[in-house]
Amino acid sequence: MSLSRREALKVLVVAPGAAGGLKSLGSSSLQAGDRDQAGDRTVAAIAEVVLPAEADRVAALRRFNDWIANYHEGADTDHGYGNTRVRPTGPSPARNYPAQIAALDTAAKAQGAPGFAAASLEQRRAILEAAIADANVERLSARPTGAHIATDLMGHYFGSSEANDLCYNAAIGRDACRGLAGSENAPAPRATTVGPRK
Amino acid sequence: MTIDTDVCIVGGGISAAMLAQKLSELKPGVAITIVEAGTRIFDFENRAKYRQRSLDYGENAWPGDFIGDQAGAGIISRTMAVGGSALHWGGVTNRFSEEDLTLKSRYGLAVDWPLTWADLEKHYCEAERRLGVSGEPGPLPEDRRSEPYPMEPMPLSYNLKVLKEWAEKSGIPFQGTPQAKNTRPYDGRSACMRCNTCEICPTGARYSPDFTFKQLLAARKIELHDGTLVRRLVKSEDGRRIVAAQAIKRNGGEALEYRAKTFVLASGYAWSPHLLLLSNAANSSGMVGRYMAGHAFIGAQIELDARLYPGMNEQHSLISRKFFRCAPGTPYVRHDLRVWESSAGRDPRLKDTNGKLLLGDAVLADWRARTARGAARVRAYYDVHSSAESTLTLDSSKKNTWGDPLPAIHHVLDDATNARKTATRAHILGVFDALAKANNGRVFGVSEGSYLDHPAGGCRMGTDPTTSVCDSYGRTHDHANLFVVGSATLPTAGCTNGTLTFVAMTLRSAPEVAKSV
Repeated sequence: MSLSRREALKVLVVAPGAAGGLKSLGSSSLQAGDRDQAGDRTVAAIAEVVLPAEADRVAALRRFNDWIANYHEGADTDHGYGNTRVRPTGPSPARNYPAQIAALDTAAKAQGAPGFAAASLEQRRAILEAAIADANVERLSARPTGAHIATDLMGHYFGSSEANDLCYNAAIGRDACRGLAGSENAPAPRATTVGPRK
Repeated sequence: MTIDTDVCIVGGGISAAMLAQKLSELKPGVAITIVEAGTRIFDFENRAKYRQRSLDYGENAWPGDFIGDQAGAGIISRTMAVGGSALHWGGVTNRFSEEDLTLKSRYGLAVDWPLTWADLEKHYCEAERRLGVSGEPGPLPEDRRSEPYPMEPMPLSYNLKVLKEWAEKSGIPFQGTPQAKNTRPYDGRSACMRCNTCEICPTGARYSPDFTFKQLLAARKIELHDGTLVRRLVKSEDGRRIVAAQAIKRNGGEALEYRAKTFVLASGYAWSPHLLLLSNAANSSGMVGRYMAGHAFIGAQIELDARLYPGMNEQHSLISRKFFRCAPGTPYVRHDLRVWESSAGRDPRLKDTNGKLLLGDAVLADWRARTARGAARVRAYYDVHSSAESTLTLDSSKKNTWGDPLPAIHHVLDDATNARKTATRAHILGVFDALAKANNGRVFGVSEGSYLDHPAGGCRMGTDPTTSVCDSYGRTHDHANLFVVGSATLPTAGCTNGTLTFVAMTLRSAPEVAKSV
């Protein structure tokens, strides 16, 4: 789904402060207000490439933003069972994003575009493919790792209950509390509140 | 500071909860004090929030449920809190089988338990009532029950219905796994809402001991001293009784001494023998910290011809008890067999089989193509027997804040178990293969456990004081007023989840504990 400018703006504004005092994910050569908007546009432009057209990209970006904003560094993690281990969460993945976003803009400019967000879809795809290769990301993680903002966004979305429903075209609601009634039946078809992007 | 009580229970897990509950019924007015090193996490109102943080960020769903400096090698869960490991257990309440109690007399292996199956079965029923177990009668006559389950079974999800039909094509009978989860409101707790996160149940439908402790506290039937680490048991001059338990408040370091008519260790397979070793108590046989037990396991995934919807209820499973029995005279192998829905091998991926990067629609298309066939996760817990060299020892190189050496567990299996390992593995993989072949399936992702699950032992029960630590009621042979209850007393660990057995054995001990007061 296409992002409105208003929706796109919300994506990363909250994240930096909550993630450890970062002020912007956009280019440092811009004024502060412009930087936020530029960063937001960049992430929205990433989403157009890495998230499927059938996805509710607005909601996906909102959830990604919320995740970043509510990340707690140094929180105790589940210590597991079997090979148990007590360890805290690490630095916010968002700490790595400003440099990654800047690099995307640099790569776009090298191809003659004013910035990543203004590059064509094909250009953006090529830039992201190169960036992901450089970051040595091999698999998707449902929880962002900071390896690259593009794969973090992908992993966060594709690991979600919403994406699971989309894949199976069924209202499974994996992470919801659903009650026992009716669980013996196949899940109902997924409600299509978001249509394919035109 | 000295605290006088009638019964001092050391450890605040599921065995302690059940023992305290039953003791308070058997002996109204008896003073019961439970001393637990960990803290109480009674903020049920926050559980939905903790669940969400756990889902989103992998944060500990039971914040503060461990003690930083109280750990040991070979311990498979760090949880030390009021409620113990059963705070976050999956609620699976399988029974052992009669064979587990008669290994020596039937097969010439390990040791017989010092009680009959009929005796234990009666207490299984009681444990199921107290915990609130939902289940269905099994298809095998050997699994007959003297009482029905307290609650109707958890309905099989659509996925499990499909998988049951698939699995039974192999000729192996399956049933839904019994669970301590409410299928209707029970004991003041709500019905299951199928949240898919039983390790942190936000509705209270899955039993955890904090509910029992809160009930007992509200009725003023117990004293609960959490955050208090018992460091030593003090023996009488003649050594025949325990006169005190010396403890320390972890926060502040205040020394406490508990004086009681009866002491009960309910601290599990690690910390009960650990305390006895620290105290040089109950160990005239030299068996404390020996025969540390558990069961081994092999798991796999099976791809099959079925349209499944992963995420419907990943916590519920099928079980077959067919292989709990092994005909005498045939090669010995005993195991349970579980089947779950699975998404293994069909999760969204960044690169396809050829290493090509996938983005956007391509990820979704690839994902969908790979979910045309379904997957099942299968696992067998199999029976292994420990030798006397399977030990818990005091590790003087690792000490807690108070200078006490921490435990180290080192499992060693007996010769007979080692000798049959290859055959056991081949048998179990053959069963997985039979399941797969019954429906044009394919086994993949075989894995073997790197530890023994549902650990037990360390204070094993028996009739001979020279080869065991306690009798069948957990009363130590050396000290008339010292009991051990729960997992530590088991001579062998069966081939399925142990918690119901730990609880049943504890409930069986309760009248003897009551009589001692």
